[in-house]
Amino acid sequence: MAAGSSSSGGPGAPCRHHAQLGACESRAKYREGWRPRAVKVYTINLESRYLLIQGVPALGVMKELVEQFALYGAIEEYHALDEYPSEQFTEVYLIKFKKLQCARVAKKKMDERSFFGSLLHVCYAPEFETVQETREKLQDRRKYIAKATNQRGFFVLKKVEGPKKPASKNSEHDYPWSTSGSRVASNWDPSCFTNSLGVSHNTAYPSGNQSQSPLTSPHYDNNCAGISGYFGENTSLTPSEHPGGHTPPAYLLQQRMVPAYNGIDRFMPRTTHLQERKRKREEGNKFSLIGTSEDNTEVVIGPQLPEIPKVDMDDESLNTSATLIRNKLKEVADSVSTSVEKPESSSAKPLVKQRRRI
Amino acid sequence: MELGRLEYLQALVTEFQVTDSTGSKRRCSLALSVSCISSHTRSFSLAEAKEQVLANLANFAYDPSNYEYLRQLQVLDLFLDMLTEDNETLVEFAMGGLCNLCLDKTNKEYILEANGVEPIINCLSSSNEETVVSAVTTLMFLTTPRSRAQTTALPVVECMLRFSLSANTRLSNLASIFLQDYCSPPQVEEARNLSKHTAVGIPLPKD
Repeated sequence: MAAGSSSSGGPGAPCRHHAQLGACESRAKYREGWRPRAVKVYTINLESRYLLIQGVPALGVMKELVEQFALYGAIEEYHALDEYPSEQFTEVYLIKFKKLQCARVAKKKMDERSFFGSLLHVCYAPEFETVQETREKLQDRRKYIAKATNQRGFFVLKKVEGPKKPASKNSEHDYPWSTSGSRVASNWDPSCFTNSLGVSHNTAYPSGNQSQSPLTSPHYDNNCAGISGYFGENTSLTPSEHPGGHTPPAYLLQQRMVPAYNGIDRFMPRTTHLQERKRKREEGNKFSLIGTSEDNTEVVIGPQLPEIPKVDMDDESLNTSATLIRNKLKEVADSVSTSVEKPESSSAKPLVKQRRRI
Repeated sequence: MELGRLEYLQALVTEFQVTDSTGSKRRCSLALSVSCISSHTRSFSLAEAKEQVLANLANFAYDPSNYEYLRQLQVLDLFLDMLTEDNETLVEFAMGGLCNLCLDKTNKEYILEANGVEPIINCLSSSNEETVVSAVTTLMFLTTPRSRAQTTALPVVECMLRFSLSANTRLSNLASIFLQDYCSPPQVEEARNLSKHTAVGIPLPKD
């Protein structure tokens, strides 16, 4: 089973591998210093779950090698590539990860690393992919972009999601533009967020980027963008179709009440936008503190915690989701207060426990 | 932090424009020092400087959180302009940049409105493997109900048919996906019939 994929390249494979080898060497020169000839652009076509590892010392260390790479994620297949040209006393291996993101991280970490006294050269090997794997790779990229930029419906997709809808044979001949509606189902998957913790691809071009650390891996931004992307997606679904028990946990959305939002008002810098909302929120807070408790039976002692402010977030989808959360909170709060029996007068806390916004 | 990123990207684009005009080597190396952290004694040619900056921008285009800034700085236009350059490397990097960012809805619309499909189709006949592969993917990503007529025009489908028979697995995989997922069977059939009779269409890239 492991050997199957290596022959997919066909008779032309050795030639193409030479091309790959060339690319690796340029990276090695680049490591030595500023070498403009080694400049490289990474696209989704270049990346792959398959990694080619050269420079492995021929000491029978395959097991250790695989163990080392397995630290970065689940490995589906691995084997040595005996026909691949290699330096004397070194071997070449192919490792196939289950997830592209793992392969990305593994490549970044393991490339140019010393292993049993020899320097490893790790590169992607997309030529080993099957058509279906390439297809899935492209679709994953679509989903990621859609999530990160909070968009849905406009783009073209052939299949909804490969693993979850295996009976998609009929869609082989569907035109992609007709499947936009069902696309968004079941996208909420924690692994999607790990995907969005993007490993920076500026490593091929280190000189400029290393000096600017905020520019490399925007972990927080991507995470928020991913979640806010989900934010938007979910609300857009509710009027048109039922996502099928696909409600997000309220706690997660509460924590992200201020999403790092890329989509809205695209030409306003994000900091300004966040400040705008903060200002509005503070204004809302002011009024809630002044106002009296709605429930007359409560005895409120001390300053009331600010009510969840009803801030207009300038966007219909955000407002809808904010309303949903508020209602949910009220529900939860109500159920809590009715189930707890407390003496009316002596309690220092209000019966309805307000959650303080973080 | 966000402003830092914008400034950095701005500096890149400015550099690019600086090196684009008839700048001297001195100006070029001064501009580059904005992004360099290491000092170097080698002097660069203008072409190399442009390539580096373009590659940097294209890599930035991979990350959606940069899209706002890239649009503000009109980097999309920059990429589209570079597609008609003589320097193959510039075309490769520009095509890669477009491939990276064209999935975003706003970017997609922008590229389509700017008649970007045509130069991308022309890239299919490049002799550079990366350029061709990026072009195929970009055409896939840019296919919408409205643009479909352009991105799956007969010459394109013909070209994809030939690519699908290529020994280059990456290319053949992508071409197969294009034919299966983005073209209707009648379209593929028509292209197949046509290619039997004439040599019209886009020549194969040299592998």
